[in-house]
Amino acid sequence: MMACLERHRISAALQNARLAGVLALALMMLVMAGCASTPRLAESTQRHLPQQTLLEDVPFHGQRDYQCGPASLAMVLNASGVPVTVDTLIPQVFLPGRDGSVQPEMLGTVRRQGRIPFRIDGTLDALLTEIDAGHPVVVMQNLSLPAWPVWHYAVAIGFDRDEKTLTLHSGMEPARLESFKRFDATWARSDRWAFIALPPGELPATGDGQDALDTIADFERAQGAQASLPAWEALVERHPRLAMGHFALGNARHAVGDADGALNAFADAVQAAPDLAVAWLNLGLLHRERGDTGEARVAFERAAALPGPWQDRAQEALADLIRQIG
Amino acid sequence: MMKKICRYLSPLLIAALVLGSLPVAAAPVSPGSDLITTQDVLKAERSQGDRERIHAVLARDDVQEQLVAQGVDPAEVEARVAALSDAEAAQMADQLEQLPAGASVVGALFAVFVILLVTDILGLTNVFPFTR
Repeated sequence: MMACLERHRISAALQNARLAGVLALALMMLVMAGCASTPRLAESTQRHLPQQTLLEDVPFHGQRDYQCGPASLAMVLNASGVPVTVDTLIPQVFLPGRDGSVQPEMLGTVRRQGRIPFRIDGTLDALLTEIDAGHPVVVMQNLSLPAWPVWHYAVAIGFDRDEKTLTLHSGMEPARLESFKRFDATWARSDRWAFIALPPGELPATGDGQDALDTIADFERAQGAQASLPAWEALVERHPRLAMGHFALGNARHAVGDADGALNAFADAVQAAPDLAVAWLNLGLLHRERGDTGEARVAFERAAALPGPWQDRAQEALADLIRQIG
Repeated sequence: MMKKICRYLSPLLIAALVLGSLPVAAAPVSPGSDLITTQDVLKAERSQGDRERIHAVLARDDVQEQLVAQGVDPAEVEARVAALSDAEAAQMADQLEQLPAGASVVGALFAVFVILLVTDILGLTNVFPFTR
């Protein structure tokens, strides 16, 4: 009797455990499947994108060992007109101690090669829009699960919206097809990190003016005004109302000795944003440099009247100028 | 004797270090003109104080050392660090160990192999090329 009861209790416990296990497994499957639904495109993207695109001109470089970073860089740099080889890039970006390449240095290496690395939004919309604009995209994926990561760089070169597939130059495989679903699951684990490499003068098809401005300013810091000038020109053409764009163009023109052009750009900057104190300040400094004290005084007065981090500097310059005129 | 040498040597060393770091701090500022640079304005906009700027300068030195420790050719290190933006240099200095590096190998445990095989088949991962 006791034993029977005992047996009954054990079998009940076993049954409960089995039930719990089945439930847990089912739940896990559901959660996982829920995480990896096929990503959907926004209505506006669906309207302007074609069904298929493939950038056939992007050359393929197969990776050796862990060198998907240098290989991916070589592909996008070659596509943007820099004839650099994987072997040249390895000592510039590969970290032997980590058996791989880290994201900041991927961007830095693009700058060293004279191209501007624009990060793009982590959405399938932005990714496909850039590919359609002719820009191959370097993406970072974690091909495995977060607990055992396999980090990987690949280059997205095409898509097929009917088949819901992305085409990537990846690892040893040129033009590999990956479903949107599987790609997005692996891309999401890098927080959907992606960038394009463009020559100065070309801008991304996505993103806003402020992002582009910050990116070009970082490039200018590394490569100087001469190399950045076409990028600033393109930025003010695309975003004529972005006052800081005109301001940056003025600085770049001044740095390469184009004083007239710089004056025009600073004038455009204060016209776009009359409260941009630092543009008035630089306008005044430039006028003073050219001996045009009357114009300089007008500009300094505008700058000195605006509160902000440049007010002290402007008031000083104004006082100096008045003392100088006597 | 040792104390005496130290007393004379340390102020000299401090002076040398301070002087040595000044040109680095001054380097990114405008090339031969007195206009306010675009980079200075962007930093001021992000309300980056002096403390952050000093941090940014020190971060670059720090990254140089870390790169050498990671086996990068010392002749390459300076150019690699110079190509980074301030934010990237700070990120490298603070968390190089945690930054994901493409591409490492998966631990060859059997359990992991089976789990990844299943997730591969489910279309969640992409470790094994034969699961497509």
